[in-house]
Amino acid sequence: MRLIAASILLVLTLTACIVMVRAPFHYDQQDRDNISIGATHEHLTGTDDLGRDRTLRLAGALLLGLLGAAAASAIAGGLAVSAGLSAAFAPNWLGRTILYLSDVALTLPWLFLLMMVRSSLPLNLAPIHSATLTFLLLGLLGWPAFVRANHARARTLRASSWLMQGRAAGLKPLQLGRQLLPHLAPLLLTQFLIYIPVCIVAEANLGAMGLGISEPLPSWGSMLLALQNSALTANTHWIYLPIALLVFVLLLLEMLLVEVKS
Amino acid sequence: MTLNIVLVKRVLAIGLGAALALLLLPAPVFSQEISWSLKNDPGTFDPAMVDEQAAEMVRFLTGGVLLRLNRTTQQVEPALAATWTVSPDGKLITFHLRDHLRFSDGAPLSSADVVFSLKRALSPQAPVSEEFLDAKNVTVDAPDALTVRVHLPKRVVGIGKIFDEIAIEPANRPSQGRVTSGSFFVADYKNGEYVRLARNPNYWRHDAKGVQLPYLASIKLDILKNRDQDELRFLRGQYQLIESVPPDNFSALAQKAPRAVHDLGPSLNTEQMWFNQSPAAPLPAFEKAWFTSKNFRNAVSLTLRRADIARIAYSGHATPANGFVSPANKLWYNQSLPPVRENINTALTALAQDGFRKNGATLVDREGHPVTFSLLTNAGNHARERTASLIQQDLAAVGIKVNVVTLDFPALIDRLMHKQDYEAALLGLTNVEPDPGSMMNVWLSSSPNHQWNPSEKTPATPWEAEIDRLMNAQDSAASDAERKRSTDRVQQIVADQQPFIYLVYPNALYAVSPTLSNAYLTVLQPGIISNIDYIRAGAK
Repeated sequence: MRLIAASILLVLTLTACIVMVRAPFHYDQQDRDNISIGATHEHLTGTDDLGRDRTLRLAGALLLGLLGAAAASAIAGGLAVSAGLSAAFAPNWLGRTILYLSDVALTLPWLFLLMMVRSSLPLNLAPIHSATLTFLLLGLLGWPAFVRANHARARTLRASSWLMQGRAAGLKPLQLGRQLLPHLAPLLLTQFLIYIPVCIVAEANLGAMGLGISEPLPSWGSMLLALQNSALTANTHWIYLPIALLVFVLLLLEMLLVEVKS
Repeated sequence: MTLNIVLVKRVLAIGLGAALALLLLPAPVFSQEISWSLKNDPGTFDPAMVDEQAAEMVRFLTGGVLLRLNRTTQQVEPALAATWTVSPDGKLITFHLRDHLRFSDGAPLSSADVVFSLKRALSPQAPVSEEFLDAKNVTVDAPDALTVRVHLPKRVVGIGKIFDEIAIEPANRPSQGRVTSGSFFVADYKNGEYVRLARNPNYWRHDAKGVQLPYLASIKLDILKNRDQDELRFLRGQYQLIESVPPDNFSALAQKAPRAVHDLGPSLNTEQMWFNQSPAAPLPAFEKAWFTSKNFRNAVSLTLRRADIARIAYSGHATPANGFVSPANKLWYNQSLPPVRENINTALTALAQDGFRKNGATLVDREGHPVTFSLLTNAGNHARERTASLIQQDLAAVGIKVNVVTLDFPALIDRLMHKQDYEAALLGLTNVEPDPGSMMNVWLSSSPNHQWNPSEKTPATPWEAEIDRLMNAQDSAASDAERKRSTDRVQQIVADQQPFIYLVYPNALYAVSPTLSNAYLTVLQPGIISNIDYIRAGAK
């Protein structure tokens, strides 16, 4: 099952890459004589309300979303495992402070903070920078949710006999860390896979509020926003393709996760 | 005696019962509430400080004014003032208030309140003060409790209309709309959710049968940015009107509710983009040099395909624009202005004159800086967001890179009006009335609403000085022909200099529930509820 899900994701990603490379036009090119149309020979899944090719934008959004979310998830996971390990192996007072800080971070209204950060950013930010920044922020904000789990696992390992022997034998922290990581790997992989769909949905939500990745870069968020705007006036069902693909990708990621859990 | 007591008790009981029943029975006419949406929270409830549409709507509904502009006849009618006179030289205006006027809290309204409110409106911070031309030399006095005199240093043409924007508040206790002399008062406000207005029980106005107005008991104005939600709620009957229907939803709405939608043709409103020319703006010097260059602004204007904007962003419900006076404004529109036709070659020639050149696909200035700027607009306005994307693509044709930024309205206004921290902006301007006198607050260089460079101490350029002179001239000219000449010249200067790059005139598109009666639709804003005192909700 996991293999099937991973294969489909891979095929989707490769297809998106091929579409991006081979397409006869650019993702932001406006075909102003063909606005909001359905499937044609030229535009296989039609165009959006500015005449931009839907297939191409969808492929771009898929690649950007997956890549950005994976990077954000890796950052969040890295920070979480560092914080968890530090809390477990540091003196008690420091460990408690780290855990306390991560709990406080969990209670903050991140959405509003993200909005504040976005509105205080320099306006003249290139779309690709806004995308990088969006996913970087998601990565930097995601770690507190995983700190407790990492900490618990690290505490268990700290009390394990092999680690005690290692410490007694005089292994340095770096050497100990190398031994620790394989034991943490399943947990890290689960966290990584859990946070990818969270990031995709968070970006889509931010985009749907007009924040996040800015136009003309294609993103799930901007496409959902277009759906919200044109749902009443839609004359083609192709406008639902982005949300259908988003749900499908999230399902595939969920299937990968189930397999890891089991 | 016992019988009498019993009788008295019964009579009392019946009387009390009847009185209770009367109290509990809903009044057949005044019990209704109607509801519609505002696109953002009102920036202020202080009627003297209103500077945007949502606050203007609240002021229209709550503010009692001396004179009211009838949006249908475009004539000024007495309101709190029973009569008013203007001296032959136009420098003295005398208002005689109606008898027994009261505020919504029951306090009497006298000339002292009017003097207080007029003085607040004349303060330099109040946007309406601009329309008096020389507000600091205007004096106001009250010879008696019902008479108010306004002394002007010089004649102001169409002065009556200005008083339509000055709400009379209780002297020395301005209440942010909680105590008013208009049809309604602000009863409740939840930030980001709604404003509820309740009927002013002491409103002066009565209908022909002597029934006190307004007929409606209350109004709920929801704060709703999403225009599609607005329509869904209208179709469900939650809202009784949409003050402006987004153009791309018009035909869909027409299919679902053909009796409810109305297209009144081009409105008086304009959609425009402009560059920040304020010397105080926190922008690098080379960018300021671009934005203050006439050739740069003209080149941008020549690159934009206005017909595409009207067709794609407005679904055909708009007309390409060539100036600040809409062709709907037949009296003041300058017929000799040619339409702007896009011409990339002319644009590139104009740019070359100022040292701009193409470096590959990118336009660079004399010093080699690539020409790129952010275009700020408000989130949630779909037509505007699409316009921004079309501008982005059009300007890419001459190598200019545009980053579109959408912000929520308060954040946008803060940047535009207070911090001047932006490069270019795309917004619309709502013209309440057709007279050019009402546009003084945009065109006078000293005005805070002179958006490309607000509150100039002295005009920054000769052409701004000329606009100042012409606008002042048209506002004190004795004849309409003279005023027209001045206004035509201002339109020509604006077309030459492009401080605002006008894009389209959106059509006036309204949706009104057939259950609402006595609503007269007008091109002038507010387009549906200008007759709010007489509007009834209920079966028609």
